[in-house]
Amino acid sequence: MALRAGAPAPARPPWVDFLIGQTAALGGAFLFAGLIGALIIRAYGVSPVEVYRIIWVYGTSELSDVARVLTNATPLIFSGLAVAVAFKAGMFNIGVEGQYIVAMMTGAAAAVSLDFLPGFLLVPLILLCAIAGAVAWAFIPAILKVRTGAHEVVTTIMMNGIALSLVAWALLNPLRSSDEGLVDLRTDVFADKALVPKLSTSFGLSEQIPASVHLTWLFPLALVTCVLVWVLLKRTRLGYEIRAIGSSSGSAEAGGISISALQMKAFLISGALGGLVGMNSMLGDRGYLGHNYEIGLGFAGITVAFLGRNHPFGIALAALLLGMLGRGQDGVAVSFDLPTETLIILEGILILSVVVAYEIVRRAVNRRRQKIVRAEETAIAPDREATDAAS
Amino acid sequence: MPLLDLGVAIAIGLRYFTIIYLTGLGGLFSERSGIVNIGLEGMMIVGTVMGAWGALEYGPLAGLAIGALGGLGMSLVHAVATVTFRVDQIVSGVVINVVAIGLARFLAQTFFGQATQSDPSIPHFEKLDVPLLSSLPAGLGRAFENMSPIVPVAFLITIPVWFVLKRTRFGLRLRSAGENPDATRSVGVRIAPLRYAGVGISGALAGLAGAFLAIEVNELYHEGQTQGMGFIALAALILGNWKPITLMYGALLFGFAQAIPLRLSDAPVISLMPEQFIRMIPYVVTIIAIAGFVGRVHPPAAAGRAYEGGGGSI
Repeated sequence: MALRAGAPAPARPPWVDFLIGQTAALGGAFLFAGLIGALIIRAYGVSPVEVYRIIWVYGTSELSDVARVLTNATPLIFSGLAVAVAFKAGMFNIGVEGQYIVAMMTGAAAAVSLDFLPGFLLVPLILLCAIAGAVAWAFIPAILKVRTGAHEVVTTIMMNGIALSLVAWALLNPLRSSDEGLVDLRTDVFADKALVPKLSTSFGLSEQIPASVHLTWLFPLALVTCVLVWVLLKRTRLGYEIRAIGSSSGSAEAGGISISALQMKAFLISGALGGLVGMNSMLGDRGYLGHNYEIGLGFAGITVAFLGRNHPFGIALAALLLGMLGRGQDGVAVSFDLPTETLIILEGILILSVVVAYEIVRRAVNRRRQKIVRAEETAIAPDREATDAAS
Repeated sequence: MPLLDLGVAIAIGLRYFTIIYLTGLGGLFSERSGIVNIGLEGMMIVGTVMGAWGALEYGPLAGLAIGALGGLGMSLVHAVATVTFRVDQIVSGVVINVVAIGLARFLAQTFFGQATQSDPSIPHFEKLDVPLLSSLPAGLGRAFENMSPIVPVAFLITIPVWFVLKRTRFGLRLRSAGENPDATRSVGVRIAPLRYAGVGISGALAGLAGAFLAIEVNELYHEGQTQGMGFIALAALILGNWKPITLMYGALLFGFAQAIPLRLSDAPVISLMPEQFIRMIPYVVTIIAIAGFVGRVHPPAAAGRAYEGGGGSI
């Protein structure tokens, strides 16, 4: 973001510029992605309009459809937030993937070993143990980053690989179910009190929402977390400093901010958020950790964060959108002779066009601002040295 | 028979070396031109699926070429984003990797009728036994038997790469675009075409490495077979200080680290560890190498920064 302090009022107020820019970028990107998607769908001899309509219908027509979309969105919100917090500090946490996998392992360990506790203590403890596991996993790349300068993209990717092996080992050894006759490689099934309650049972909606939909209290928790992250970033000193090192580490350091300590904090917060990613599938759906646990949610968080412009509320919307595309795959699979992977491509094109569109708009807005500032500088104080235009 | 196993381990290490080295050379061209390429993994992934399809349809040579073209296509997206639109290079690279996973599923579904793998037994080149070396005693000869002809090609490619970078006008300009684009531009050389070329070569080489992996090593395509080797190649590049010959040493180290879990699991010390921990070795080696070497090496001075000069009219 450019510094606007002291700049006289331009022709349009900055927030109007901002809003126009956002709308233009998002609208343009969606239009572009929609058109390219339409070309691909057309190539399969299917009507694009019909496909887009079915995606909408499958995501919205009944309460259970909406519940499915929200279920899909729950882990994506957490992973999107995790990526975004690190990104705000100028870092890439590609390791959310490994962090949530390790978190599932530590959470599962808590679930099976602390099952003597009552539910109101057990569930929070499981979540805390999960978060602790993820934070520990994020600590290694974070400390390497600040101490040695090892780039977090490479180290977190390696940590992801290590996490997969670690969990495979844990499932074979300490966490393996004591049930000898079991072919499936998994932990013991958790006690019912260790599971997060479903919204449908809490609100008496079991009639409308079938038991196969795992919309739990983790979804409202995800929304609350969005607000908390927003407060952290926008309303606290820590958040201000995080954003400062993310946008300009040089001037932040000159302003007396210790970069490595902050990078550390931001990365650990990111890891903590990542710890909750796998919880809905473990505590809301299966009730155990098996070798075929869901993977890829951490990478999906990157997509969510970029689509949501790394803003907590944008992330919630982006997660809903991806949740809907996920649900739409069911519809596409049933209704058309079209590979469901087409929607993954659509997602990819969308994220690419969003990234490029925002860059174009950002530059256009910067150019406009510089022009305005330059015009006013020459008008007001032609002899004064031109201050460096912040970019 | 530990020595016999050692021979086989070397053979496997050389295959992984080939993948890491080719991809790392790709990263070298891109980063020496001034564009950081985190997307190598994604370009390699596209190379595996395109290469597997190409080899199934038209034979191994065409497969390698088509794989390289796939990587090239993916890299052009990166080039358009970072050179023309000046999107942050890491952001673009990360997006490329995310998109590549989806694209590979889509392509596999289209080519093979299933999203995660191809039919096995993709046609591959005739394996060769390296003369003299393959008759080494005590099982060591096994290291040089049944070798894919691409492995020696990977070693030999060092010579033309070194020559192009050090002795040609193109190489000099490419390197100067990555070190000091303003000075380069001031003598009338345009930056954008050089960076397009650098990124394009990187994509083609990463795609070639991916195709080699699918066609020559695994003889089938399956999802996730690159195992993060694009990132390991980046680590080798750092270790190799962005120079081809030292990169080769780095790639050898990482290639053998990859082979340990597969072949040396019976060796002393290693055999005491659970199998899953042995599988972590290549990743741990990479992390240690990166943490130990970064800061002592000199990346291209302008790599990672968009070239803003020329008043926007590149």
